[in-house]
Amino acid sequence: MSALRENWRIALLVVLLLVSAVALFVPGTPPGATPDEGAAAEGQLTNLQFGIQLSGGTRIRAPVVGMTAEGVAVGFQDESDVTEAVAADLGVDPIDVRASNETQTVEVFARNVTESEFRAALEAEGYQPETIRDGVTDETRSQVVDSVQRRITESALSGGSVQEVAVPGGQTFISITAPDRDRGELVSILEERGVVRVYAVYPVENGSHVREQVLDQDEFAGIGTARESDSGPGVPVTVEESAAEEFATTMATNGFDSQTVCNPNNYNHSNPSSLNGNERCIVATLNGEPVFVAPVTQGLGESFANGDFVNDPTFVMSTSSMEEAREVELSLKSGRLPAPLDFENDDSLSLDPALAEGFQQNSLITGILAVIAVSIVVYVRYGRIEVAAPMVVTALSEVFLLLGFVSFVQYPLNLSHLAGFIAVIGTGVDDLIIIGDEILQQGEVRTGRVFESRFRKAFWVIGAAAATTIVAMSPLVALPLGDLSGFAIITIVGVLLGVLVTRPAYGDILRNLVLDED
Amino acid sequence: MVEYEVPEVDYTQYTNRQLVAIPLAVLVLALAVIGGWWVVTGAPVTYGIDFTGGSEITVETTLSQEEIRATFDEPVSSVQGIEQAENRYIITFESSDIDDIRDSAEAADGMTVLGSGSTSPIFGEENRRLAVLGLAVAFGGMSLLAFVFFRTFVPSIAIVISAFSDIVIPLAVMNVLGIKLSLGIVAALLMLIGYSVDSDILLNNHVLRRSGGFYESTYRAMRTGVTMTVTSIAAMAVMAVTATLFGIDLMADIGLVLVLGLSADLMNTYMLNVTLLRWYKYEGVNR
Repeated sequence: MSALRENWRIALLVVLLLVSAVALFVPGTPPGATPDEGAAAEGQLTNLQFGIQLSGGTRIRAPVVGMTAEGVAVGFQDESDVTEAVAADLGVDPIDVRASNETQTVEVFARNVTESEFRAALEAEGYQPETIRDGVTDETRSQVVDSVQRRITESALSGGSVQEVAVPGGQTFISITAPDRDRGELVSILEERGVVRVYAVYPVENGSHVREQVLDQDEFAGIGTARESDSGPGVPVTVEESAAEEFATTMATNGFDSQTVCNPNNYNHSNPSSLNGNERCIVATLNGEPVFVAPVTQGLGESFANGDFVNDPTFVMSTSSMEEAREVELSLKSGRLPAPLDFENDDSLSLDPALAEGFQQNSLITGILAVIAVSIVVYVRYGRIEVAAPMVVTALSEVFLLLGFVSFVQYPLNLSHLAGFIAVIGTGVDDLIIIGDEILQQGEVRTGRVFESRFRKAFWVIGAAAATTIVAMSPLVALPLGDLSGFAIITIVGVLLGVLVTRPAYGDILRNLVLDED
Repeated sequence: MVEYEVPEVDYTQYTNRQLVAIPLAVLVLALAVIGGWWVVTGAPVTYGIDFTGGSEITVETTLSQEEIRATFDEPVSSVQGIEQAENRYIITFESSDIDDIRDSAEAADGMTVLGSGSTSPIFGEENRRLAVLGLAVAFGGMSLLAFVFFRTFVPSIAIVISAFSDIVIPLAVMNVLGIKLSLGIVAALLMLIGYSVDSDILLNNHVLRRSGGFYESTYRAMRTGVTMTVTSIAAMAVMAVTATLFGIDLMADIGLVLVLGLSADLMNTYMLNVTLLRWYKYEGVNR
């Protein structure tokens, strides 16, 4: 037992190495991992997660398009009036303006509006904004994050993630990572504002046609899955109970009370009167473009008239292709983006999986070569295998512990992290050299006491050096400088693991070596 | 048996002035290069696309370099082949309009886009500000710790000057070699702060806190410190070379800057710091 007590540091290292091995290799170990992920997945040896640089995919970081006027005394009742008036003044879609009583701000989400135009528009409505700044409010931004989150979930992007990132004293942007999409695909998913509106187009007394909006985005209760049916591709949708009655009444009173006639080819969205005489169409637009123009069927028309629709407010939006149906489905489900993302000022990274996986292998080779180089230098320097070998083994066990750690917390590894691993090998061996020299080069060690005192002296230097490395790296953890925060985190965790676990264990190993010699 | 011993330098042969002259001259030269660069180009170092905005794509193609350049409407800053992967090139552009660039590449016959990265000028500017901030905070924190550890002016300031010089020298060399500052290099500079301080702390600790004469303590610290630095240089040199062959820019940058900085550290620690300590030990203390 006393052997164990004296060598508890080695015992701790061994235990932690075993724990790391479990975290790395046993399927389903990391919390949150599903049993078919990681080590259990086909062709994967470990539970390690790889980021897009090492497994492919796209990351885009972009600011939100917009300008905010602060200190605008918008009354509680006036929100929608201000919105409409400012939008009309600026010649933008009302969805691109947002007035808020709560935050006393008016925001405009359009690229081509200048600050002075915006100020003039507000002043024309009798408001005196205190300041006008680039960027949008926190509320808008967090809604954009939610909406993007839903959108990437709906579009079956596996493992995609969305985050708001604030630069200290600077702008705030949205960071989106999609492991299985290239840039074009991801941008097209995100660029879609996804505003869906439903119109009824019908003739009025003088023979011309009018277009009346009958439903908007918020009035849908549920969206079905795009599907191919007998009548062609379409998306079944359910209307919100509160809106169903008004919708049905409007439809019925305007002649949609039985089957209607509608030739989609005649319909011109900017000129509804292009329809012939008695044609009545129901039109759904996505971002202002009609995606669905169709007559109302006999059954649906009757249900509007006799009130059945209110009890079962469901109809099918039929589209001309499955692709279009899916697009409508996606837009309806993910809701619209409150404000567009500014892809002209983005920062992006996109890697083909083959190239990225090549990096995995190549950086492994780089790491192994670096370890060999270190081993050769250490061996040449000490000329004693029993000193050099434990050094290299200890440094490697540090890397293994670190791998276990990142695997356990499911931290996605990128190239910068691997550079961090190599840096950890570097500092690790440095510290082992300090310990080794302190103990071996100062004359014979006769007793455990002498050993302890030398070890403690060595440890002071190691602790001071570790503290400095941590201080030097910590700004990178806090600052959103690309992938470098990951590099810094790996280095800091590595240094801590080294100081707390592996380097003390190396001391014990050495003590056994030198004391046994006598 | 191959075995190397760190050679014992006979410091008594040299005066303080002689010893300090070389590292100070190198530091002044480095500062002059950086200052001159600043005057001529408007920036202390040449910024890469991480800091100015721009794009980079990796393509696989059988086209020649000239044909690659001709493929794009956007001005091409550089086309770099990758040693270990034939027909694979990294092309950089000043424009950050990555969509147009990808479109041109994808439209070209026999060119496949494997990866792309872009930074808009706005992000570049932000990165520049953050990098300076990060370096300043790290350097300030390190200096503070140095003073906390040793609580005397000369040994502490020796650590700070040496770390400063370790950062400035690689930056000057980068300018001369035409290497542009990237985010990876910023990380390397921060690591350099950590590495640089290791051997300085070791030296100060041996000289100030141990029994034994100045020269004996210095030699012991040197034996350990040089081994440490040489080991790190070996690891980083291997990383720089292999990563360059594989076209992994980030690792290559970190490796190269650390090799430069650690080499500078050998000179600074064992010429500049040792001298400052000797002055402090023999003359400064008695004042």
